[in-house]
Amino acid sequence: MERIQSMARRQLLLKPGTQDRWKITMVKRTRSVMGTIIYYLVMLSLSFVFLYPLLYIISRSFMTSVDVANATVQWIPTHLSFANYRIAMEQIHYWPGFANSAIISFGSAFLQILSCSLVGYGFARFRFPGRGLWMALLLFTFLVPPQTIVVPLYLFFSDIPFLHMNWINTHLPFVVPSLFGHGLKGALFVLIFIQFYRRLPHVLEEAARIDGAGPVRTYWKIMFPLARPAMLVVFLFSVVWHWNDVFEPTTYLTVPDFFNLAQNMATFNGSADAQMGQMAQSVSSSQAIGMPPTLMNQIMAAVMLTIIPILLLYLFVQRYFVESIENSGIAGE
Amino acid sequence: MNLKMKLSIRVRHMLEGYIFILPWIVGFLLFMAIPLGRSFYYAFHRLEPSEHGLVATFVGFTYFRQAFTTDVDFLPLLQKTMTAMVTQVPLILVFAMFSALLLNKASRGKVFFRGVFFLPVIIASGAILRELLDQGAAKLPIFVQYDLFRKLAFFIPEQILEPVLEYADSLTLVMWDSGVQILIFLAGLQTISPILYEAAKCDGATKWEVFWKITFPMIMPMILVNTLFSIVNSFTKTDNHVMNHLMNIVFRNNDYGYGSAIGWLYFLFIFIVLGIIFLIFRKSMATAEGRA
Repeated sequence: MERIQSMARRQLLLKPGTQDRWKITMVKRTRSVMGTIIYYLVMLSLSFVFLYPLLYIISRSFMTSVDVANATVQWIPTHLSFANYRIAMEQIHYWPGFANSAIISFGSAFLQILSCSLVGYGFARFRFPGRGLWMALLLFTFLVPPQTIVVPLYLFFSDIPFLHMNWINTHLPFVVPSLFGHGLKGALFVLIFIQFYRRLPHVLEEAARIDGAGPVRTYWKIMFPLARPAMLVVFLFSVVWHWNDVFEPTTYLTVPDFFNLAQNMATFNGSADAQMGQMAQSVSSSQAIGMPPTLMNQIMAAVMLTIIPILLLYLFVQRYFVESIENSGIAGE
Repeated sequence: MNLKMKLSIRVRHMLEGYIFILPWIVGFLLFMAIPLGRSFYYAFHRLEPSEHGLVATFVGFTYFRQAFTTDVDFLPLLQKTMTAMVTQVPLILVFAMFSALLLNKASRGKVFFRGVFFLPVIIASGAILRELLDQGAAKLPIFVQYDLFRKLAFFIPEQILEPVLEYADSLTLVMWDSGVQILIFLAGLQTISPILYEAAKCDGATKWEVFWKITFPMIMPMILVNTLFSIVNSFTKTDNHVMNHLMNIVFRNNDYGYGSAIGWLYFLFIFIVLGIIFLIFRKSMATAEGRA
């Protein structure tokens, strides 16, 4: 009798227990669903902020100036207008500028991969007296702002000692420092390669040495091809930074024929601003309120034309790029 | 060949190392050491073009005195740069850390989000960023659209509200500036062994505790790297005012001596800031290691 009672009690006790457990799992599940929803909401809104400049540029570049002035037109133009692109293409001298930009960025990026990898390997794999000092100087190079040495460098490139050549208005001031592992952010690229080579196992080199390969051959045949992830990172950074850079080009390229795209765009922007000022003065004030003169759509088309090549490049390598960043040990040990 | 045989293995190893870094050393002398030395020399000299090239006459500390006394632009611009750095770099670090933690959560659409988060590095840099700033595209429309200022002015006094909203306006710039930093944090987070997290979970640590006791100390080196990168970046950005001032002096006024002096002052200033950062981090790195 008692046993039956206790069993029944136990079952009764068990029942609410199972219910509780079910409840807990349900609460957990709804919580995780809520978590996922919040997570994606946060991610999507952050993505919007990151995509905002691109969307802004694209939407403005297709608008007519009437649309830009129209407050009811927010994002989507009333009709697609390719006129902006046609005008911008002429105004920024697209193809010559593109050629200059391409030579500078791709040439420098290519040379920086070769030289920075070589130097990075030397730092990562060899112990020699003065190594610490040179490493410190490498960091120092990264920290010196380019403005500090711009004057002597400009004078140096305008009259190379012993050779007596003028390199201003050529691509050489960009390409030659890259050959030596310097140039735009060269020190950073060397650091990336150092971190990468440090992580590779020593066994590979030892095997190559035993098979009779010298250090240069070991590097060129075994180690360099393995550094592909680091190469990709350096290549993309180098191309993008050279492409968007205006500081060095404005210093070394002074004749419009040699301007790169970024410079052409800045020049166009300046002239467009002046033109807008004139237009604002010429129209009477009542008209100006109704339709403020603007060339913003053309400027945005020029911006779009400038970034489209690197945007395509990024779309193409993006997938491998993030993986490479993880593998290349850019973050250090 | 004969010479090679005579050298001991150690000496040969050293020579090989030097051969690999030789290009960089040559480049360092040509494009860094000599220019740096020459700009130091120029900073104390007045440079005047003549038929024999530039002629330098010694002027002592005149240019440095000029920078602090007669130049009305230099100090305010320096202060402006400094405030921008102090307000933005911590924000960049916090935001980059937050984004990296979000991105690190394994989920669908990971590749897409990563691609998007890095997009500003491609487009919002250099000349294009300047253009976007000019057109007012660097501000999110929410503050203007919903007339936030007037609505909030009911509750908050204007004197406080105005700087706060200005700060909020610069947030988009902060977010666009943190692409590289997000990637560095992300790579750092991937190097933390999952065993540590499992152990912490077994010991009943909450997520909050796990972050502060494991994640944070483990990515301390990345925080240092990111801090240095952000500071150097903020000092050499295209929209930096000191930089534009310097370029005007050098290329519009052709005042090479004064330009060099300002360049050196700016460099020393950056170096002091970085030195302070190093000191702060050395302390916290040491304590982090002590705890581990």
